[in-house]
Amino acid sequence: MNYVWDFQIVWEYRQVFVRGAIITAQLTFWATLLGTVLGLVLGLMRRSTNAVLRYPAALYIEAFRATPVLVQLVWIYYSLPILSGLQMGNVASCALGLGLHAAAYIAEIFRAGVNSIDKGQWDASRAIGMRYTQMMRRIILPQAIRRMIPPFINEFATLLKLTTLGSVLAVNELLHEATNLINNTYRPLEIYTAVAVVFAILIYPFIYASQRLEQHWRIRS
Amino acid sequence: MSDVILKMLDLHKHFGNHEVLKGIDLNVRRGEVLVIIGPSGSGKSTLLRCLNFLEEYDKGEVLFDGRLVGYRRTKRGKLVKDSARNIAAVRKRMGMVFQSFNLFPHMTVLENVVEGPIVVQRIGRKEAERDAKVLLERVGLGDKIHEYPSKLSGGQQQRAGIARALALRPEVMLFDEPTSALDPELVGEVLEVMKSLAADGMTMIVVTHEMGFARDVADRVMVMDSGLIVEIGPPANIFSNPAQARTAEFLRRVLH
Repeated sequence: MNYVWDFQIVWEYRQVFVRGAIITAQLTFWATLLGTVLGLVLGLMRRSTNAVLRYPAALYIEAFRATPVLVQLVWIYYSLPILSGLQMGNVASCALGLGLHAAAYIAEIFRAGVNSIDKGQWDASRAIGMRYTQMMRRIILPQAIRRMIPPFINEFATLLKLTTLGSVLAVNELLHEATNLINNTYRPLEIYTAVAVVFAILIYPFIYASQRLEQHWRIRS
Repeated sequence: MSDVILKMLDLHKHFGNHEVLKGIDLNVRRGEVLVIIGPSGSGKSTLLRCLNFLEEYDKGEVLFDGRLVGYRRTKRGKLVKDSARNIAAVRKRMGMVFQSFNLFPHMTVLENVVEGPIVVQRIGRKEAERDAKVLLERVGLGDKIHEYPSKLSGGQQQRAGIARALALRPEVMLFDEPTSALDPELVGEVLEVMKSLAADGMTMIVVTHEMGFARDVADRVMVMDSGLIVEIGPPANIFSNPAQARTAEFLRRVLH
């Protein structure tokens, strides 16, 4: 093989990567925000003793976990406007779809985290007269969140990579921009490699921060 | 003000098909130390947990200071579960100490002790910390207040657990096998703290296997077996002259 690598091309078109990375970061940001808030609510609902809260949450979580994200995205982009009359841009649809998807997984992370807390902690906080919200906020969640960080970062990294599915909605995220560039330059190897590097640069700081945080908590207690 | 602070009337509790409490009637007077003994599985811990409604009883009544615990009566006389606010309110008038300590691991000893006063009773941090330091000094942990629970021995953790319960200035203290998880050499320091509480006139209900403590500190000893009270009386009677064969049999086994 006498393939001649040409990474010069990546540098020449660096603006394209920056532009794509910004869209990817925006999608991830909004999807994570929505997924976390909704996931928390769903996770709490699913733990509820009240069936009216528990069953809809369970149905939501299982439906989103059992179906492909790609279908979810397409469905939200094309079907939601028909059903609700709500017209959204492709970037907003993509962020919404990924956020709704992530919520199902984050709800499960949240539930597992809360369930992992020793029963004695619940007893002790109830015995000193705490109400449910006080107990959650002061005793259970501070401990559960520490255990939720690693799976949460996992989910975040997955979500960041799932933004590449935005290309089916013609969202100009990183992979979509890169594909266009390949069609112009015929340099798929260099450009895909660069895409991988950009994703790693985006994700790694969060992995590093989570590891440092875990270490910090291990030392403290 | 009634002399009786806690009253149980025909108290029943079952888990699935297994009936753990089969009708308990009992009065506890203010300032009394009641020690509950009996074989494991006899319902001692469940009884204790029904008193502050950590366990929901199925039938009968628990009355604390004349008020029904955990349930309220509707106009038609039916019992329904009480509001979370009322349940929490009655719980903070009782302190509880657990077999496995159950300290909050993400908080220092001092933070554990001030948590109830600050969050539940809404006392200012300064005042709560001042009171907590006095309590921690009293249980011999004056030099450990800024440690995390994982850095403490079992005996120290349990003493911190007692301080946490006392911080709410409870009217009754419930002890659920407070020394059962401790290495033998650490049992004494916890019992000493409990003895000094009893000497100060605290109302205490203690589930324990420490027969020495029962004999020396209890005003009354209650023997339970299979969800029922076998007998109840002053320790001198129970230990030297048990009226029931089952008491004699149990004591023979534990005192070898």
